[in-house]
Amino acid sequence: MIHDYLVLSVILFCLGIVGVFARRNVFTVFMSVELMLNSANLAFIAFARLHQNMDGHVLALLVMAVAAAEVALALAVVILLHKQTGKLDTNVFSLLKG
Amino acid sequence: MTNDFILFFPVVLVSLGAIGLMLAGTCRCFRLEHAAWASGGLFGLAFLVQLSATLACDHSLYNSLFKDILVVSPFSKAAGLVILGCGLFSVCSSISYFKRNNFSGVEYYSLLLFAAAGMLLLTMTRELVTAFIALEIMSLAIYVLVGYDRDNVLSTEAVMKYLVLGAFGGAFFAMGGAFIFGAVGSTKFHLIGNFVATNGFSASPALLAGGFFIMVTLFFKAAAFPFHAWVLDVYDGASMPITGFMATALKTAIFAVFANFLLADAALQQGWVNVLFYIAILSMFMGNFIAIGQNSLKRMLAASGIVHSGYLLIGLVALGSQQQIPGSVIAYYLAAYAAGTLGIFSALSFLSGKGEQWKNFNDFKGLAKTNPYTAFAISIFLLSMAGIPPTAGFMGKLYIIIAAIKAGHVSLAVLGIVSSIIAMWYYLRLIVLMYFHEAERSFVEEYPCRVGMVSTFVLVLCVFAISLYPIAL
Repeated sequence: MIHDYLVLSVILFCLGIVGVFARRNVFTVFMSVELMLNSANLAFIAFARLHQNMDGHVLALLVMAVAAAEVALALAVVILLHKQTGKLDTNVFSLLKG
Repeated sequence: MTNDFILFFPVVLVSLGAIGLMLAGTCRCFRLEHAAWASGGLFGLAFLVQLSATLACDHSLYNSLFKDILVVSPFSKAAGLVILGCGLFSVCSSISYFKRNNFSGVEYYSLLLFAAAGMLLLTMTRELVTAFIALEIMSLAIYVLVGYDRDNVLSTEAVMKYLVLGAFGGAFFAMGGAFIFGAVGSTKFHLIGNFVATNGFSASPALLAGGFFIMVTLFFKAAAFPFHAWVLDVYDGASMPITGFMATALKTAIFAVFANFLLADAALQQGWVNVLFYIAILSMFMGNFIAIGQNSLKRMLAASGIVHSGYLLIGLVALGSQQQIPGSVIAYYLAAYAAGTLGIFSALSFLSGKGEQWKNFNDFKGLAKTNPYTAFAISIFLLSMAGIPPTAGFMGKLYIIIAAIKAGHVSLAVLGIVSSIIAMWYYLRLIVLMYFHEAERSFVEEYPCRVGMVSTFVLVLCVFAISLYPIAL
């Protein structure tokens, strides 16, 4: 039972990694990162069930708070990018080189 | 209890100061200069408080409340001192930087304090999720500071790259924490250490995977070998004082938590020692290789930061062999490196001009003819980073190499020396350009700034003062 949840969390985590590397839209990249964080939450909850204590639930809540703060900043950066370049494609960002 | 309060007071001071500045920023009569002086004063005060608390062994803060989550050790105290010092000098170089660039705000100084609060927590924490939260407090503030110049496309690109990769790394840390929690049933370092001591380092796949994920994040944040590519672009896009702050204080905090994590148990450190060994070598040589090819001074310093991460990883490899104070070699190297790097960025903050128009090697040709004192200071910082006696950088490298030999890694010590000889090439290049070429432009100061000059020369004194400080190996 718990094993299934862990497998699901690992699958979600891998999907998130693939999303970060394969997607070119900034929004989708940030969504993939959120998917990775939420798969960590799922793993915390599943392991809390395994160990029969509440620690994992608390830790998952804390991770959620951090994820929310990160998303707020990410959205601000997306707005800034859109204002400056008019695009949200990661391919256009190649000014920094050397 | 009083001792606990004094040890915890720098964190309280810095975070309350950050919140206070953020609130004061809404008041129109509170101007930029006030914010700069207030944040500089807070860093200085926190530094003195941190210095005043004496401590001989590990001490658990407010044990009845935090239950071994926050532990102050002599090592974490030294790391905290380095971080607060970096904050103070970054404020000074920001003051001179914003004489020419005007995108600053009160919140800029508040965010510096927030980042320092996260870093101080990171040095003390002995619990994975607290470490994750402290890491994110630090990182979120640094992301905003990197992209603070909202009209500059370069800095927006830098913050985008840093945010995507940083959040990606943060997710790895959370997942690693979850796996270790699954294997051990707790995220406290000493319970993880007990588990590893009784069941062995590779007892469960979840523990191995969790350790691996956490290592990935820490290597990423420290800009070690396979995860070093972001550092050039981010340093290039960030403003000079922020680059200096990131290069020094952030690295200090990351290596503090790294060492604390590895010190949880000797078996854990021994389990990862081979990985650390190869990553140290690859970071040193990859960093040198990248630094030699750079024309921009800022990118060269970013690449040399990768090399210094390699040296610090040698310190982590040798961590188990230190008897008296574990991590003292790492703390010493961090302080020595911080003095040199902050000095260069402090000098560049007032030399680079409006919009950082002068930041290539060739822009500093003949600096010694017009600004002999500044050129002398920059030379001292470069010699310290290259590791020439009698500077702090030399002593730091010496201690690291002695520690590596004591731990039985002679090959690592030899490769460290080879790498520091290669590094001479790009450090001495700037000194040659400054002293043996004719000036192509005038370096006359439009708005001379005394704060930046004074802090640069204080850092020159620090480079020599740190080299005189003895540590027990």
